[in-house]
Amino acid sequence: MTPINISLLVFTIGLYGVMSKNNLIKKIMGLTIMNGSIVLFFISIGYREAGLAPILEKGMTSSIPTTILVDPLPQALMLTAIVIGISVTALALALVVKIYAKYKTLDIQQLSKER
Amino acid sequence: MSIHNPILIIISPLLAAFLVLLTRKYKTILATVSILASIVFVSTLSSQILSGNKITYHLGDWGGPLGISLVVDGLSFFFSLIILGLGLLVIIYSIPEKRYGRTYYFLLLISLSSMIGVIYTADIFNMYVFYELLSLAVYLLIAYPKTGVTLRASFNYLIMGGVGLSFFLLGIGFLYAMTGTLDIFHIAERLPAAFDSSMRMVIMSFVLVATGIGIKIAVFPLYGWLPDAHSMAPSPVSALLSGVTVKIGIYCLIRVIYTVFSTEIFLLIGNNNILLVLGVVSLLFGASMALAQKGLKRLLAYSTINQLGIVLIGLGIGTELGLTGALFHVLNHTIMKSTLFFCAGIMIAETGTRDMKGLSGFGRQQPAITFSFVIASLGMIGIPPVNGFVSKWMICLAAVEVGHIVLVVIILISSAIAATYYFRAIQVLFSSPPKPNSMTAHEGGPVIYGGNFYRSWPIYILVAGCLLFGLLPVLGISLVKPAVSLLLFNVVP
Repeated sequence: MTPINISLLVFTIGLYGVMSKNNLIKKIMGLTIMNGSIVLFFISIGYREAGLAPILEKGMTSSIPTTILVDPLPQALMLTAIVIGISVTALALALVVKIYAKYKTLDIQQLSKER
Repeated sequence: MSIHNPILIIISPLLAAFLVLLTRKYKTILATVSILASIVFVSTLSSQILSGNKITYHLGDWGGPLGISLVVDGLSFFFSLIILGLGLLVIIYSIPEKRYGRTYYFLLLISLSSMIGVIYTADIFNMYVFYELLSLAVYLLIAYPKTGVTLRASFNYLIMGGVGLSFFLLGIGFLYAMTGTLDIFHIAERLPAAFDSSMRMVIMSFVLVATGIGIKIAVFPLYGWLPDAHSMAPSPVSALLSGVTVKIGIYCLIRVIYTVFSTEIFLLIGNNNILLVLGVVSLLFGASMALAQKGLKRLLAYSTINQLGIVLIGLGIGTELGLTGALFHVLNHTIMKSTLFFCAGIMIAETGTRDMKGLSGFGRQQPAITFSFVIASLGMIGIPPVNGFVSKWMICLAAVEVGHIVLVVIILISSAIAATYYFRAIQVLFSSPPKPNSMTAHEGGPVIYGGNFYRSWPIYILVAGCLLFGLLPVLGISLVKPAVSLLLFNVVP
């Protein structure tokens, strides 16, 4: 199992959680799992076995083959994606608090019956 | 100054959004002025774009595959005009309502600025970030009245939208893994080589990205969030959602198909039939569901699914005429649907009910608003002097040109269904006035300054637009032309 395959597996687990769970909190957990799997996916794209940090120091020539350098871009992207994921989760939880205060339930089946 | 125009168009509403939070008195003026400033910046670019040039702006002077650049070409120029025009009218329409505080204008400006961001950026990850920002602002705008139904609608949309954008991001990951760049145009250059070596990865990335966007534009099996979100939101927000937010998804779809996966690869992966089938299914489904609705805004929401089906058919046909029709229909649908939602907002505020039956007699109280409603619904059905007819006609002609006569029949059937439900609404409006005891509006005192006088101006402007584009379609087509020639021939006219 390569990290990429694992991340895709985790992605489907998250998707399953979002689609099949009735509890609103569990849906949000599914969404968070999907987000986490994407982070794993991007990081494993940039990973190199026994790679070097992509920093050019004094004395190094710029002719090092890029295959042994770790790709820094996915990590930078994932910092952004993590922040976005947190804001989505926070907003979702805030909505859930409001919904619970109104209806006193978190079950989506019962919520859909309410008017 | 003029070099920096593309970024100024995005920054002006973004800056105003944060300034709005500081002031209570001048919030509406600030919001209006910032959008007007953006419109001025766009119009300075117009002569260059319409003569066929493409403007590239490198953020921080980092060019090439490393930096992020903004690209204004025919397609993005066309969509940004729609967004800013409707955004201005939405703000003007919201001004008389007392309920809308500073945060409302803050969210409105954030969503408008991030929409332009999605459209101008040439970096696909940046596109994702702007799209997520837009979605966050929109979820909050839907939940703004904080009633039970709006909270549930917003939560539903959040879950569906979150899943959609996760798919989109995973697709971007596959694209990056294959090409090693995030710039749309560089991906397009390197993708054919990747297609030869690892075909499955390319197909996978296309499927993921298309599914993600498909949730956002509510194609048939993925439409679940749309009717609630569009019908429960405050009326100006409904107009914004139906008018432009969904169109951002259409824009991303066009960009992905025509620029990222250039047409040849797209044809190899599957073919245009995917779009045609999805379009036909959404078209018929939206039309028949709208027929069953009792609430006016819910009917309009299902009608959006119906009209997006027509746009997808136009894109699926893919000839010059089909694309022109599809893009022109995007413009027309924005104008007509926002007119209808604005009218519905006034009707709901006046009669105090969302139910269509409660609207009876409205036509005699407010003939001008009702007349606008009638004109826009005629456009939706596709009756000649109004703009909706022209674009539907072009798509039908394109279908005949390619030899799909069935499509014409299907579009006609859906128009007939549309006629049924819109005429039902119009009939209710003109039926006998309600009994006096059923008037339950204005329970908590009047919510609107100065009656509906100010709110009706945006409607009249939009209706004038409906008739203008209906009688002189050349105006609209000349806007669409640079975009179409860019998509088809990848060259300037």
